[in-house]
Amino acid sequence: MPFVEDPARFSKSRLKSDLVAHNVALPPAASKKDVYVELHLKHIERNQTADFSSDEEEEQERNVAEDEKLPDPRSLTDDELRGALLRYGVKAGPIVASTRSVYENKLRKLLQPDGRVELNGADDAVLYSDSEEDIQEHGVQDDEESGSEEELLIVELTKNAHQKSKQLPQKRVNEVLEDIYKDAEKTPTGMSVTRRRPIKGAAQRPVEFQYPDTPVSPMTFARREVERRLVPIHIQIVFYVFLVGILYLVYVNVDESSFDKLKDRLRLIQWSGSDETHSLQLEMDVIDVAYGQE
Amino acid sequence: MSSTSQKHKEFVAEPMGEKAVNALAGIGEVLGKRLEDKGFDKAYVVLGQFLVLKKDEELFRDWLKDTCGANIKQQGDCYGCLREWCDAFL
Repeated sequence: MPFVEDPARFSKSRLKSDLVAHNVALPPAASKKDVYVELHLKHIERNQTADFSSDEEEEQERNVAEDEKLPDPRSLTDDELRGALLRYGVKAGPIVASTRSVYENKLRKLLQPDGRVELNGADDAVLYSDSEEDIQEHGVQDDEESGSEEELLIVELTKNAHQKSKQLPQKRVNEVLEDIYKDAEKTPTGMSVTRRRPIKGAAQRPVEFQYPDTPVSPMTFARREVERRLVPIHIQIVFYVFLVGILYLVYVNVDESSFDKLKDRLRLIQWSGSDETHSLQLEMDVIDVAYGQE
Repeated sequence: MSSTSQKHKEFVAEPMGEKAVNALAGIGEVLGKRLEDKGFDKAYVVLGQFLVLKKDEELFRDWLKDTCGANIKQQGDCYGCLREWCDAFL
């Protein structure tokens, strides 16, 4: 069941700010709370779709609209359910005992005006749990804490900001805020408030999102940078094995004769070279002769 | 899906025959027990549900979540495994 918020439970300042937000002329400053409540009921309950209506009211309105359109998917017969789905462009398969609940859920989702549920349908159970007491408490607390209209506006803006942030593809770490603002999911105003990135865990606030680009120390960063440029280790290993193989082949295939050839070549180079090398060359010749005699 | 599990490969490799429900990828002991409690004791019973939902991914995922509380990954594994099995053997 939707949670109906009673304007009589609002603080005076909240009522005042609601009235201001709906362009309702404020009564004289000295008037009692009852006057505000009356004005609130008269003007705001009637045009709930206007800006800054509270989320609970929004919720209520949505359910009412839904009820008008189709009472309850559960009360439909199989054929009616099938027809209703067809109206939404869904060609349902056979509706039998085991598939009926699935199609009921599907229809319920389609009936949601903004299709937000499709986005994170998995959280439905959490979102619409029976912790309505909590919201009420939170709501009352908010009212009591916020003294001036400005603060109230900020609260509303934060709600909007939060609902924007929920659409970002970030990973949730915990759902604390979701409990508090659990039905702040619609955009009645269409207002877009750019969200400020929360300071993680500062001032005992819950860590809300996990950011993929966590800052790292300069050292780690430098190391990563180096690692990125290095050749992968397995390629290194392959390269070294290849190198060792070549060296081994050279070692195996080299024999005496190839040394002789090398020596001949050296001699040729040296003969064609300058005279200064002659003495050296003579020595080599001597060695050659000695070698030859053996 | 970038890679498939061993269980997936094994399931998709052959006709399912009389395999138990927890032979399906993504269905472990716990989910298998829950499904069995609801009468889905064999893999082919789940296949029947999969087919009667016209192989629709969203509907099948919803059904699996409602029936045994499978998480997103388990839903995806089970769906992928049945779909591939159907592609191969149906």
